[in-house]
Amino acid sequence: MNDIFRELEEVTVEQYDHHDLPKWLADPVLMVARNPESYQGKEYLVEILVAQVREYDIYAETGCCKWAYDHEDIKRTLRWLEE
Amino acid sequence: MAIYLDCNATTPVEPSVASVVVRFLEKDFGNAASPIHDYGVFALVAVEHARGQVAEVVKARRDEVIFTSGATESNNLAILGLADAGLGRGRRHLITTTIEHKAVLEPFEEMARLGFEVQILPVRADGRFDPQRLADALRPDTLLVSTMQVNNETGVLQPLAEVADILANRDIWWHVDAAQGFGKELEQLRHPRIDLISLSGHKIYGPKGVGALIARKYDRQFPPLRPLVFGGGQEQGLRPGTLPVPLIAGLGEAAKLALRNNGERIAHCQAFREKALATFSALGAEQNGAEEYTLPHVLNVSLPGINSELAIKALKNVIAVSSTSACTSHTHTPSHVLTAMGLSSEKVEQSIRLSWCHMTPEVDWSEVGTILRARRG
Repeated sequence: MNDIFRELEEVTVEQYDHHDLPKWLADPVLMVARNPESYQGKEYLVEILVAQVREYDIYAETGCCKWAYDHEDIKRTLRWLEE
Repeated sequence: MAIYLDCNATTPVEPSVASVVVRFLEKDFGNAASPIHDYGVFALVAVEHARGQVAEVVKARRDEVIFTSGATESNNLAILGLADAGLGRGRRHLITTTIEHKAVLEPFEEMARLGFEVQILPVRADGRFDPQRLADALRPDTLLVSTMQVNNETGVLQPLAEVADILANRDIWWHVDAAQGFGKELEQLRHPRIDLISLSGHKIYGPKGVGALIARKYDRQFPPLRPLVFGGGQEQGLRPGTLPVPLIAGLGEAAKLALRNNGERIAHCQAFREKALATFSALGAEQNGAEEYTLPHVLNVSLPGINSELAIKALKNVIAVSSTSACTSHTHTPSHVLTAMGLSSEKVEQSIRLSWCHMTPEVDWSEVGTILRARRG
């Protein structure tokens, strides 16, 4: 079960350290990654969060089609995780 | 209950896939095309997540995955969807192989009816088409080449890497029917020269009724496909209709597992194979298709002295097998694949196909051998 949380932590740190993921977004994601016991039964949402962080693009909304994920996507998934 | 050995017809569903499907049937039932509230948004998020999971298997991009009802529809979209482009550009020559599934051969028949010239390549006794024959068949007006990845009856892997070399730098669309190989043999389909890939959920431990056409984009453009149905604009206009979110989410989960567990699935199937091969070798069976190219979960054999229909009936309480592809077995016509490989009609009628998976339990092979020996005697 912890594999997906470990993956979330790795991808978040990578996106924060080397790409455009801002600290204000990375911090709550890392809170999820480092507290797997609080999110048992919600692994499907965590998987989605991993994909959204991995494909995070600050310019996702620009252009004709939205194929990357932006901060709104990640914020929404974080909200669903808390519901 | 007999052990199920007909996984090329359809696979059992992975438990986690079933859980995902049920979740989107019962609880999260929103419409992905109605993302104006959390129900719809979550459905849309799940669809896009599944799209990424499917794309990842072949290293495509998420926006290159078009969800369909299965590989048959994907094949139809890939082939018939190019008709307008071919007619408009005066390119009316099409190439495929004689061992394709009916879901490819029949759309080609339809293309012939529309005025296209269809060239069907033969196969060798080993179950593979000859790439040189393909190279020789190419013409300036060739619009499309369609070749399967893995044959459904023999499990034989086709020479796609060689085709990729032949088609490099040629302005010809290339479609691969990967219904039997997607998520099982991973490397071939990652070749960027392949323009169009068809796949089905129910061949990879996912639900029936869902699949995808992966259409690689160049300069952000799809191949010049026209939709076959109209109304709604879903799937980038290529496959309108309300998305079956439970099935799509299940397909995504199945794709994820196919990628994650590929190595251990192959190892399990290989171990199973050795026992099956030993049993049928002892019976004097002849394998149809070259062992070196056959995926580890399929075995097609002809049993001397035993008609396949009788063998299947005799074995029905021990193992559940078939004699040919699921889509043609009800017609009782001889296998067009084995016939094309040059087998005599007698050997074709003695052929049975066994196909298993990582979820297949142990088989009592000694009982299988005893039953078949008694039937032959």
